[in-house]
Amino acid sequence: MILGVGDFGAVNQAGEEVKTFALGSCVAVIFLNVKTRMVGMAHIALPDSSINTEKGKTKPGYFANTGIPALLDLMNRMGCAAGGVGMSVKLAGGASIMDPNNTFNIGKRNQLAIKKILWRYHLGALSMDVGGNFSRTVAVSVDTGKVLLSSPGKKDWEI
Amino acid sequence: MSTIVDPAEILKSIENTPKMSASATELLSLTGDPNHNFCDVVAIVRNDSILTARVLKTVNSAAFSLMQEVTSIDRAVSFMGEKMLVGVALEVATAHLFDKKLEGYGGERGDLWRHDLRCAIASEEITKLAGTGFSKDLAFTGGILHDIGKSIISDYLKNTAEGALLQIEEGAYADYLDAEQNLLGTDHTLVGETLALDWKLPEPLRQVIRYHHQPAEASDEYRALVYAVHLGDLLAMMGGSGTGADNMHYTLDERYKDYLNLSNGDMELIILNVDEAYEKASESMAGGTDA
Ligand SMILES: [Fe+2]
Ligand SMILES: [Fe+2]
Repeated sequence: MILGVGDFGAVNQAGEEVKTFALGSCVAVIFLNVKTRMVGMAHIALPDSSINTEKGKTKPGYFANTGIPALLDLMNRMGCAAGGVGMSVKLAGGASIMDPNNTFNIGKRNQLAIKKILWRYHLGALSMDVGGNFSRTVAVSVDTGKVLLSSPGKKDWEI
Repeated sequence: MSTIVDPAEILKSIENTPKMSASATELLSLTGDPNHNFCDVVAIVRNDSILTARVLKTVNSAAFSLMQEVTSIDRAVSFMGEKMLVGVALEVATAHLFDKKLEGYGGERGDLWRHDLRCAIASEEITKLAGTGFSKDLAFTGGILHDIGKSIISDYLKNTAEGALLQIEEGAYADYLDAEQNLLGTDHTLVGETLALDWKLPEPLRQVIRYHHQPAEASDEYRALVYAVHLGDLLAMMGGSGTGADNMHYTLDERYKDYLNLSNGDMELIILNVDEAYEKASESMAGGTDA
């Protein structure tokens, strides 16, 4: 399953993976549920849907405040416990361009907004790879539960 | 400073780069003139059969979701709008450059076109919102062409990406432009400018190509336009459309605030609008590259 900007989804069949390409200032929120062997991901672009509530409804995955509840809801309907119970969380992305005074801090603001929403569910990130000045492609496989990252000019790594 | 390539080599590749098609050059200078006439635009398209075919294909693509097939060029051009027409013309005229896999940057085929298209849309959005006094179409075209120098120097940057990233991380190079300077003794903005002169591109577009990473050095007259593309370029990278290993390794010039009236809230709105417009445009303008 390939996710574009603002998409979210979950997979639970052997051999399946969920993947998103080139996260710049966007952040991938990854949920892993061991009990059901399910992995979910949302490709979040902006912190809060208040700038366009209509878009928050038509494409909830685009914003942190609507994307996380929408993904948890989907995974609940697919068989996970409600309210994020039993979920492990990993985060990747939220990078920035070279910007010494943090003028364009969308990546950072995305990270903060996501952590705030996660706290509401009593969830914290088990591991994360965020910030820096490079884009990330992220893939998560059902079989291994491993989160693999890649970026042009770098060797692949895992979180 | 010793570089890995003789600058004369790079000059030679610029000279060997095919010229832009006559119709693309004419469209650029015509649409850059605020008093131009729609009929003249249509006439240029009509005289170029490849461009005509592409315009009709684009306007009849799913992205426009028109009820009836459009077969007349007049109607096709007015549906499409001049901005999009210039985009299609440039894509056809410079396909050999845009389509190339930027190996020197560790990029994939089509990355440059996607980056340029996203930058074009962002530059246009910024121009609309910030009131630069420049036409949004000019900002769009500037965005399409701003990194054209990359397709030339990419050939000379093979196997340098990993090392360049390390040097930037260690602070030995300030950013990727500085890395290019250190490795080649030139960079994609200088090579782009030479190409622009060779193609006889109008002055504002040459300024965009030359100064999009150093907007403060652009001439007074065009500085606001160059700042708009400077921001549009960085927004394209933040949106995930880069050209390879250099992605996000460029420095923001905060003095854009002196030329562009944009709040932080505006930036978020621009990101949202750009994502939507980009999705629509990449469907219809994908052409030879897959987007
Ligand atoms: Fe550039
Ligand atoms: Fe660029």
